[in-house]
Amino acid sequence: MAMFSQNPLMNGPNYSFNEGPKVNAPEGARQHRFDPYTDNGGSTLAISGADFTIMAGDTRLTSGYSINSRYHPKVFKIGGTTADQHDATLCLSVVGFAADGEALKERLDAICKMYQYRHGKPMSVKACAQRLSTILYQKRFFPYYVYAILGGLDEEGKGAVYSYDPVGSYEREQCRAGGAAASLIMPFLDNQVNFKNQHVPGSGEGHALQERERKPLTRSEVEILVKDVFDGAVERHIEVGDGLQMMVITKNGIEEIFLPLKED
Amino acid sequence: MEFGTSGSLSEDGIHVDMDRLKKGEVNLGTSIMAVTFKDGVILGADSRTTTGAYIANRVTDKLTRVHDTIWCCRSGSAADTQAVADIVQYQLGFFAMMNGKPPTTQTAAAIFQEICYSNKDRLSAGLIIAGWDEHHGGQVYAIPLGGSLHKQPYSIGGSGSTYIYGFCDSNWKENMEEAEAVDFVKEALKEAIKWDGSSGGVIRMVVLTAKGADRHLYLPDTDYKVRHT
Amino acid sequence: MPGFDFSNYNRNAALHAQGVPLPKATSTGTTIVGCIFEGGVVIAADTRATSGPIVADKNCEKLHYISPNIWCAGAGTAADTEFTTALISSQLELHSLSTGRKPRVVTCMTLLKQHLFRYQGHIGAYLVVAGADSTGVHLFTVHAHGSTDKLPYVTMGSGSLAAMSVFETQWKAKMTQDEAVKLCSEAILAGIFNDLGSGSNVDVAVITPDKTTLKRNYIKPNERTQKLKSYKFARGTTAVLNEKIIRKEDLGNFVSVQEIHVAEPGDKMEVDV
Repeated sequence: MAMFSQNPLMNGPNYSFNEGPKVNAPEGARQHRFDPYTDNGGSTLAISGADFTIMAGDTRLTSGYSINSRYHPKVFKIGGTTADQHDATLCLSVVGFAADGEALKERLDAICKMYQYRHGKPMSVKACAQRLSTILYQKRFFPYYVYAILGGLDEEGKGAVYSYDPVGSYEREQCRAGGAAASLIMPFLDNQVNFKNQHVPGSGEGHALQERERKPLTRSEVEILVKDVFDGAVERHIEVGDGLQMMVITKNGIEEIFLPLKED
Repeated sequence: MEFGTSGSLSEDGIHVDMDRLKKGEVNLGTSIMAVTFKDGVILGADSRTTTGAYIANRVTDKLTRVHDTIWCCRSGSAADTQAVADIVQYQLGFFAMMNGKPPTTQTAAAIFQEICYSNKDRLSAGLIIAGWDEHHGGQVYAIPLGGSLHKQPYSIGGSGSTYIYGFCDSNWKENMEEAEAVDFVKEALKEAIKWDGSSGGVIRMVVLTAKGADRHLYLPDTDYKVRHT
Repeated sequence: MPGFDFSNYNRNAALHAQGVPLPKATSTGTTIVGCIFEGGVVIAADTRATSGPIVADKNCEKLHYISPNIWCAGAGTAADTEFTTALISSQLELHSLSTGRKPRVVTCMTLLKQHLFRYQGHIGAYLVVAGADSTGVHLFTVHAHGSTDKLPYVTMGSGSLAAMSVFETQWKAKMTQDEAVKLCSEAILAGIFNDLGSGSNVDVAVITPDKTTLKRNYIKPNERTQKLKSYKFARGTTAVLNEKIIRKEDLGNFVSVQEIHVAEPGDKMEVDV
């Protein structure tokens, strides 16, 4: 910053900040850079049960060390026919680059609406999941910089969670954490939802010890787990906090719950 | 350690980023000047210190005493110029004790130059040395980036100086009265502060004459009209 | 040999050239402030230490002892603030022993700036120096490159902008001690809640010519929320694949054993029940 001393001309002409010659480029070459992505932090989570799916996300939106918003939802109802989405059956959570998340949500919502109007029935999770994958892959070389999770109930009424990478690779899972604190949350979920590394005490010796039987958690158990998971993530990850938004998807519709989180 | 390496404007789009300035270094964006007048010399400076776009200090004192009636105006890296001024202040104090008389402005300027020139690859310091001594009265010396030494009737420096070359060139007069010289410095710095984004805050001045050092302070609250100390 | 150990420099340079990233230092992404009042000076800090986006320590101490009448708040690289203040504290102690006088704040500030300037910013210590001595009450900031400022109120660290906004709106000359403590803690709170690098609690130190009071965890606005469920495992949940018992008397076959008498156990680690 600032020019020095006597002769300002020795510092060269006054360049505009995007046309100045850049160093580290070969002689005579001018390097241009375009950074369209930002990481807006935050974390999301989805767990499927026997007859429900719970999707959750914190509501903090960050850039760098700043908080841009303390209430910016990351979980959305998808495919309802009205503005308040009261008749929606699906939920999408997006975390990563907020602008792309918003764009992706709007795209998928529009597509689900079109489907509803054309076929007179809401899109199934399975169909929506495949369509979302296609949307993401269509931008293979300029991706939506988001980690998306789609939740709903499958044809049999069981909870369904589909998780995605930014370019459309997807998989149906029992549970999934996404975003900034995913690496903190996912091992805990493996242990508490799928009972990984848990055994039945006294059922055998060494390798013969029986693994704890997998049972889907009840709705209230999952709600408690989600709250504890986010309280834990807030303690150790600086980009997670402010509020916890939960969507509970059952055959009776989607219920939205908001709980406060720490704000530091 | 990361170093800023471009010779162009930084992201805020206002300031020139010297390759030699280390990233995050505290910087005196600065408008500084010193002028000789009939009875001595006047130093003047704005008071803004920046780190990037943030004003780290809005009431900085960039006029630094190195001896009773020899002072300097600092521009460039705050750390470098403070270190250099501290060394010179020590040397001049030692000189006065050994010789039993105060050093001349030229002596001070020569010590400054020695340090600035021999460490030219490590320093980003643009200095103006101004002083009054028994033999030569008021004198002004400029030491720009490379460490050269220039004796001048008046000198301007820092990023804000670009905007006042014309003003100073048209309004400068040899052998001004004190009040007239103070006005000249004040009006010049007011323009520099007005146009240069990295200069601002209050205007500080030091008047060096046979009577010693006299400090002036002018605040933007009163449009720099009223002298406060 | 005193000083830094450069014996692994070439190895690290080679590793770095191969694309191995440098180890991440714990940074105190911090809000620290200081403010002079009528008859003394207050400094304050938050207590979060981070490593990238992860909270490394939820209740660390950023107010460092220099001498009984001089304290320092540190931001930047945690190790650098810790070692730099300890080094200067030691030098000042020896200096005051040889002169028979209490150390001065300017002396401390000069030692710090000369040390940091010598290392050209590679020692990432950003400090707020405060104290009371025979010449009065003083408050300085010292930047990693070695520049210093003397001001009636100061802020540093990633939360310095949030904290400065509090000072610039509420500061007034000639405050009482209580007013200054309140203003400083509010500035820290602004950092805690608006800067992601700062968090947890407020530490405050009040220095007057006669005494220094350190108020550790003066405000605790971020107590951990109670978990809704116990995550205690039944004994035997973890599979034991093999077991080997080494008796105490056979321990010498594996390691060199030295008995150390432990007087008092330190602070207990925070654990979930």
